[in-house]
Amino acid sequence: MTQQADAIIEVDGLSARYGAHTVLDGVSFRVRRGEIFVILGGSGSGKSTLLRNLVGLMRPAAGRIVLNSQDFTAMDEAERLAVRKKMGMCFQGSALLNSMTVLDNVALPLREHTRLKSSTIDIMARIKLELVGLGRFGRYYPPELSGGMRKRAGVARAMAMDPEIICYDEPSAGLDPVVAAGVDKLIRKMQQTFHLTSVVVTHELASVDLIADTVCVLHDGQVLAIGPPDEVKRSSHPYVQQFFSRQPEAEVSDNNEYIRSITQL
Amino acid sequence: MLTSAAGATGRWTLKTIHAVLAVCRLVTGTFYWMIAAPLTGQGLRARSTLDHYVDYAARSLPVVALISFLIGAIMAMQSSYQLARFGAVQFVAHLVGIAALRELAPLMAAILLAGRSGSAITAEIGAMKVSEELDALEVMGINSIKFLVVPKFLAMVLALPSLTAAAMVIMIAGGFALSVTALQMDPWNYLAQTASALHIRDFATGMVKSVFFAVAICWVGVYRGFQVEGGAESVGKQTTSSVVTAIFFIILIDLVFTALFFSM
Ligand SMILES: Nc1ncnc2c1ncn2[C@@H]1O[C@H](COP(=O)(O)OP(=O)(O)OP(=O)(O)O)[C@@H](O)[C@H]1O
Ligand SMILES: [Mg+2]
Repeated sequence: MTQQADAIIEVDGLSARYGAHTVLDGVSFRVRRGEIFVILGGSGSGKSTLLRNLVGLMRPAAGRIVLNSQDFTAMDEAERLAVRKKMGMCFQGSALLNSMTVLDNVALPLREHTRLKSSTIDIMARIKLELVGLGRFGRYYPPELSGGMRKRAGVARAMAMDPEIICYDEPSAGLDPVVAAGVDKLIRKMQQTFHLTSVVVTHELASVDLIADTVCVLHDGQVLAIGPPDEVKRSSHPYVQQFFSRQPEAEVSDNNEYIRSITQL
Repeated sequence: MLTSAAGATGRWTLKTIHAVLAVCRLVTGTFYWMIAAPLTGQGLRARSTLDHYVDYAARSLPVVALISFLIGAIMAMQSSYQLARFGAVQFVAHLVGIAALRELAPLMAAILLAGRSGSAITAEIGAMKVSEELDALEVMGINSIKFLVVPKFLAMVLALPSLTAAAMVIMIAGGFALSVTALQMDPWNYLAQTASALHIRDFATGMVKSVFFAVAICWVGVYRGFQVEGGAESVGKQTTSSVVTAIFFIILIDLVFTALFFSM
């Protein structure tokens, strides 16, 4: 009961599909206020799709998403907009606007949604950049930054409006282990400093130990295991075991089956 | 066979309906954010509009000027051969002037801008879609029509008529240059002939056309940009298609307006 009371995100029977292809099939979980919730899953398991539903870029095919005890799925556009301003999102490819400087990227939400003076906005944006360790790079354009720096700039932009919830899509993918650990540390720091609820999508096992308060394993559009990291690691589910011990997918054993699968389209 | 034909027809109908709806959303969205946003104090992104205007107008001016000048000269040459047979060479000035104002300057400037800036609009929006920048805007609660389309639309609607006016003058100058040199016509006479041939309505019809050409170039470019799906290959495809579609609409609009203005 107490868990229900302090849940900030409740996902209930969420299904998502692209055309006839069902990607998520009845996903349910709760995220407690202020925790780091890690969604773990292989490539193509629907992690990005789940986040797109969570931030409202996609409408679920079925199920409910409740944010702050308000039903996000039933809202009209104006209400969704208000909720969205309380959420930040860091994209898989950082998705900074290439046509403006890093500082302007971070300042953009403030310029669009507040009536603050331009000089005030500049200072606030610079503070956010300082926070992610990019204070000196405000005048660079995104293509001039390295991948890790772009990720951090994406975090600064997501933080611009002081959100309650922040979602990260594969924050450490494509980065070397040292930089990746730096990004994980940044996620932890953001959560601790601002008491931010963080939803982190990843397939990096190393991140789980570093940041996760709760882990949720996603496979074939369904939640296989959910709970504190130690508990999930002890789960008896074969795929979860396979994932944590980095075993490859089982080879196709039936030769006839294999031949049929490659000959018919 | 029959069922597959029926299926194809159904898919085509659905696709067409989707396209029509998307165009309607784009058109109403553009006008909504162009008119409602300033009225409700949400601003118009004047800075971005100005940047785009400079990009479309100033950067295209050299090539528009060069081509206009050459076309003016070519027209003077072509028409002088024909008119000389009737002993009416002095009418070269009339022909060049009227053709430039009513038809060639607006058309040429529009086709050049479709190739140069219409394609750039598609490529920019398409690349933003591929790199999830459009999604990022949406998550931040920033409307992409307000943010991306309206500045381009305003800039285009201002830039193309400016370019067209410049093309008109330069085309006449091209005809003048060729006539006074190769055809050895009297400069003052040529200018007087030009002045007597042209009326304000010739200029006006050209300008009205160019505004509609601008609208077509911008909307086609934006629509194609939003159509991008997947990766860089799709950006290339849509960009090509943007130029071809824009030129088609330019010719179509030209036909309609020429028919309308013909009696004037
Ligand atoms: N726009 C789309 N149209 C059609 N299918 C899509 C689209 N986006 C994703 N999919 C499909 O949805 C499934 C899940 O994609 P998603 O991007 O959510 O995976 P992911 O878990 O984020 O993978 P990764 O770790 O590689 O980023 C994939 O099978 C993919 O083919
Ligand atoms: Mg993904």
